[in-house]
Amino acid sequence: MTELLQDKDRIFQNLYGLKDHRLDASRERGAWYGTSAMIEQGRDWIIGQVKASGLRGRGGAGFPTGLKWSFMPKEVGARPHYLVVNADESEPGSCKDRDILRHDPHLLIEGCLIASFAMQAHACYIYVRGEYIQERNRLQAAIDEAYAAGLVGKNASGTGWDFDIYMHHGAGAYICGEETALLESLEGKKGQPRLKPPFPAGAGLYGCPTTVNNVESIAVVPTILRRGVDWWTQFGRDNNKGTKVFSISGHVNKPCNIEEALSIPMKTLLEEYAGGVRGGWDNLKCVIPGGSSVPLLPKEICDTVLMDFDALREHQSGLGTAAVIVMDNSTDVIKAIARLSYFYKHESCGQCTPCREGTGWMWRVMERMVRGDAETAEIDMLLDVSKQVEGHTICALGDAAAWPIQGLIRHFRHEIEDRIDNYRAGKPVFVPVAAE
Amino acid sequence: MAKFFKRLFAWWDGATLGTLLQIARKGTKIGSDDYGNTYFEEKGSGYDGRKRRWVTYKGYADASRVPSEWHGWLHHMFDAPPTVAPTAHYAWEKQHRPNMTGTVHAYKPKGSLDRGGKRDRVLGDYEAWKPDA
Amino acid sequence: MTMSDLRKINIDGTEYEVPAEYTLMQACEEAAGVEIPRFCYHERLSVAGNCRMCLVEWVGAPKPQASCALQVKDLRPNRDGTPANILTNSETVKKAREGVMEFLLINHPLDCPICDQAGECDLQDQAMAYGRDFSRFEENKRAVDDKFMGPLVNTIMTRCIQCTRCVRFITEVAGVEEIGMANRGEDAEITTYLEKSLTSELSGNVIDLCPVGALTSKPYAFNARPWELESVESIDVMDAVGSNIRIDSKSGQVLRILPIINEEVNEEWISDKTRFVWDGLTRQRLDKPYIRENGKLRAAGWDEALALAADKLKGGPSRIAAIAGDLMDAESMKALKDLMTSLGVRNLDCRQDGSVVGGGPRQDYLLNTTIAGLEDADAVLIIGANPRLEAPLVNARIRKGWLHGDMAVGLLGEAVDLTYNYDHLGAGSSDLTKFMKSTKGFAKTFKAAKRPVIIIGQSVLTGDNAPALLRRVGEFAKKSGVVTPGWNGFNVLHTAASRVAGLDMGFLPGEGGVGTAGIISKAEAGELDTVYLLGADEIDSDFGNAFVIYQGSHGDNGAHSADLILPGAAYTEKYGLYTNTEGRVQAANIAVPLKGDAKEDWAIIRALSAHCDRVLPYDSLDQLREKLFADHPVFAGLGHAPGAQGAEDFDPAKMGKAGDLADYNFAVSVREFYLTNPIARASKVMAECAALSDITPLVEAAE
Repeated sequence: MTELLQDKDRIFQNLYGLKDHRLDASRERGAWYGTSAMIEQGRDWIIGQVKASGLRGRGGAGFPTGLKWSFMPKEVGARPHYLVVNADESEPGSCKDRDILRHDPHLLIEGCLIASFAMQAHACYIYVRGEYIQERNRLQAAIDEAYAAGLVGKNASGTGWDFDIYMHHGAGAYICGEETALLESLEGKKGQPRLKPPFPAGAGLYGCPTTVNNVESIAVVPTILRRGVDWWTQFGRDNNKGTKVFSISGHVNKPCNIEEALSIPMKTLLEEYAGGVRGGWDNLKCVIPGGSSVPLLPKEICDTVLMDFDALREHQSGLGTAAVIVMDNSTDVIKAIARLSYFYKHESCGQCTPCREGTGWMWRVMERMVRGDAETAEIDMLLDVSKQVEGHTICALGDAAAWPIQGLIRHFRHEIEDRIDNYRAGKPVFVPVAAE
Repeated sequence: MAKFFKRLFAWWDGATLGTLLQIARKGTKIGSDDYGNTYFEEKGSGYDGRKRRWVTYKGYADASRVPSEWHGWLHHMFDAPPTVAPTAHYAWEKQHRPNMTGTVHAYKPKGSLDRGGKRDRVLGDYEAWKPDA
Repeated sequence: MTMSDLRKINIDGTEYEVPAEYTLMQACEEAAGVEIPRFCYHERLSVAGNCRMCLVEWVGAPKPQASCALQVKDLRPNRDGTPANILTNSETVKKAREGVMEFLLINHPLDCPICDQAGECDLQDQAMAYGRDFSRFEENKRAVDDKFMGPLVNTIMTRCIQCTRCVRFITEVAGVEEIGMANRGEDAEITTYLEKSLTSELSGNVIDLCPVGALTSKPYAFNARPWELESVESIDVMDAVGSNIRIDSKSGQVLRILPIINEEVNEEWISDKTRFVWDGLTRQRLDKPYIRENGKLRAAGWDEALALAADKLKGGPSRIAAIAGDLMDAESMKALKDLMTSLGVRNLDCRQDGSVVGGGPRQDYLLNTTIAGLEDADAVLIIGANPRLEAPLVNARIRKGWLHGDMAVGLLGEAVDLTYNYDHLGAGSSDLTKFMKSTKGFAKTFKAAKRPVIIIGQSVLTGDNAPALLRRVGEFAKKSGVVTPGWNGFNVLHTAASRVAGLDMGFLPGEGGVGTAGIISKAEAGELDTVYLLGADEIDSDFGNAFVIYQGSHGDNGAHSADLILPGAAYTEKYGLYTNTEGRVQAANIAVPLKGDAKEDWAIIRALSAHCDRVLPYDSLDQLREKLFADHPVFAGLGHAPGAQGAEDFDPAKMGKAGDLADYNFAVSVREFYLTNPIARASKVMAECAALSDITPLVEAAE
């Protein structure tokens, strides 16, 4: 039995909003403690500590945060530097950032100050998802509090560093969570991803060097610096260090957000925190371990798999945003994936060909497969089409649309074949296992 | 007398006597069409399993005066003649009309001098400027 | 470019050295000579990278790369230090292209047989070369509502592949944000937002840019297939830019006009007037000689007409005058000038608008900076011109310089939308004086500029104040460093295709002769017997009782007041030399035959000279050209613009006249862009455009 994370080691002490989210209460929980001392250690120290901690981006791709920060130009040239925080959390299944925004906003603001200082940015923009109304209000209130307390603004926290922080409210497009589309949207244009290179660190917001980070990546930084790299690295396996907020949803008895150490076994995570799979572990059919865009894993793999970047990648899936979507045996998994296909078809920005044309095509074929109204050979065709989309697009949305389908075909091909056979034989297409 | 010689030699206006005699000897009459043309089929076994079929024209001998249903029978496209198996006629079908070339009813395209010489505009035409217009 | 900017790159197994800022596509095409298919990429537009057709394999990279967007300098060498390997023909690339092609075709209608683009369609060609020979798509195809883009551009939006070339052209080059992509995903549509007509004078270029048949030419619709057309390369005469064009004709009728690339003149664009004027070539044509008898014109034979003309030219030379119009080729003007000179006539003018330039050195009346040179200017002062209407392609160049560089623009004259920002310095002569004295704002920028440019429009070169104004501007140019050795920023923007050639050959009043204004007033006062109009249609006078001979191609103002009409050729029907506003001599060619009994213009004058017993010394166009080159060597330098040549001799004392400048507002020389010449006025398409552009734009909604 793995040892569970203790409450004292949780960074987000108010993840459930049971305590006060305002400045004074946050300070009691440790936020804004010793901020100026950390900044006085200098930017090289901060970046060095973040690099040493092995913190990997919490937004989905898992790119090392310290390395990303070090890509910023060492000296500020003619153009100012910017920090942009990606709070456009729209991945189906993922709901970790909203709890940080509304219950622990001061950790984020403190992280923004430290990260901006480390990257020599005097301004930081937080791009909040359009549907997050309460979160936006809470965050703005927290920013106002921080300004009033002199924590940000001119001479932020008494460090002599001028720092402004702005909250921008998006309009609710999934694609604006892609970092360059987010920058376009922030600039007031249509949210469509840019071509890379140039990367944002070279030419980002308004053509200036910019770093785009996820809310969680930024919000954990102050605590890592406060408690030290050694504390942080005791959690998780090598290359997958630290704690992470998991969002568990679907067919579990108690869906929840929970901060746990990385590399916790999935079974432990679900049974200890989410009250177990509905109908018992054996009723599990499959799990999407990292938000809608990663391939699903069948029960055989879920039995043993560890929840971290590398373990899931070994099984041709990914940690993504660590949004665990659990499906039990009552699930029509083909229909579930078809619904995800519809989501990607709906959210494709339409800029580049494979995604614009491919997502609609894949969804339509998926819809037929839900009924069984297809040829067996079309399964391979669908797989081939998804491969034609994957890796050929400007941004990762094409990949995200292709992976769930690839996961489905990889693990549940027999179900699709049965469905097609049943349809031809005139049998009912789907007999749901009585669930409730 | 002139009429007799005409009957004997003038193949272009009704069949000649020789032909009629030959057909009467070797053929059976099958029927006739609205123009009065008469159709015959060979009595014998024919060549290669196909019996010869003839038409004798009433008046001027012109193949385009054979209506389509008889034309089909003559050319062995149908086995049974229209008298036995009449071809369906539809409301939208036009009456059969022989080739009018060389007659006063001949087709004159637009722009023909016989139709006033005015044709449709084609590429390369231009509108000339007219003074005081 | 220095050698250090070169990078090594391995393309399909061979190593090349290419400049670091090249894109992979450029490297592959220019260095390795490999064809890379593309739809969205266009040399003159920003890179969109959205069609994904140009994917190539970068060995070692996880994904194929869009070669139009990736620069050679962004390539990392291989681990062992050898240059990066690019494959353009590997299995991965082939599969990627086939995949993209399949995606493009799944929602593209199968209507090639009724599509005007068929035969010259990028999608068709590339599907043939890079696509699969079958489709796996079993679902229903998408359909998109057609959009209204005005009388010129026809839309069949179901065919659109969302390459956004049109969007980028209209925003970047034309400078009007009137096309965009609405909606997202597979519902994405190219639209004009409010379904209103495009207001750009360059809108027709989106037809050429569209790689499929989504945007096609409305007037040309269903007229011909590209393989039926005969193409001739020629020169446009709608304005003084001298755009290089390709005239496509079928059965002796011009059916479309397309641009051909000339980096120094029109790049790859032409204006809508150039492109769509062709239906005017078949209307209102003069196809036989006419003689006025008892107040009515009657058709006549050539011999009769020429004999009458010769008879009318016999009188005293001082009572005869000739004016050359805006669309005339240099040869016919030369022939008329030679004939008139041999008759002793001195009342000659090629400036039917009464402009005052000419007579002096060439640099006094040319666009000396050259059209391409305008891009390099850092401050541009426009005096009394609206380049957007007078020369849309010159305007596009200014916009290009303004968009991509630090160009500042100031305008003296009526405030109009030029598609770029400018400082409006005032509308009249007093504002010009103020500007010359000022040291603030734009004047400061202008006087500090390294490559300043002044562009003078035709409207300020006519009228009583023009000589004084010209002198002042010239002196200011000399004084403030606009003209220095090596840089000539003094520019006259002409609007007539024939004007510079006329000025070059001195088709101007001779010793004791009068110019256009004098000819008009003398004719109206009865002091002239005969006026010879060579395609001059912009003169608002009936010349009193003078006998008017009109030679031209279209029945317009000139023909209406004429007593004798000699039918000539339009610019598509004759060989001719035209000198554009930069002083660049270019040769036009015959695309279609003459209409009716019309003759080539120089030949009419040559025949007339025989009737006058003053036989001109040339029997063929070649001999005429030889004479022209001998008398005026500038015409022999075909395709060459003098630019800053001779800038050190720039002398304002030879320009205009010194004198007081009255206080007046500058006029506008081109008010109605689509109706500036007889051919355009005969065109129904141009009339429709003019009617649409008359509609006053909606006043911005009150908030």
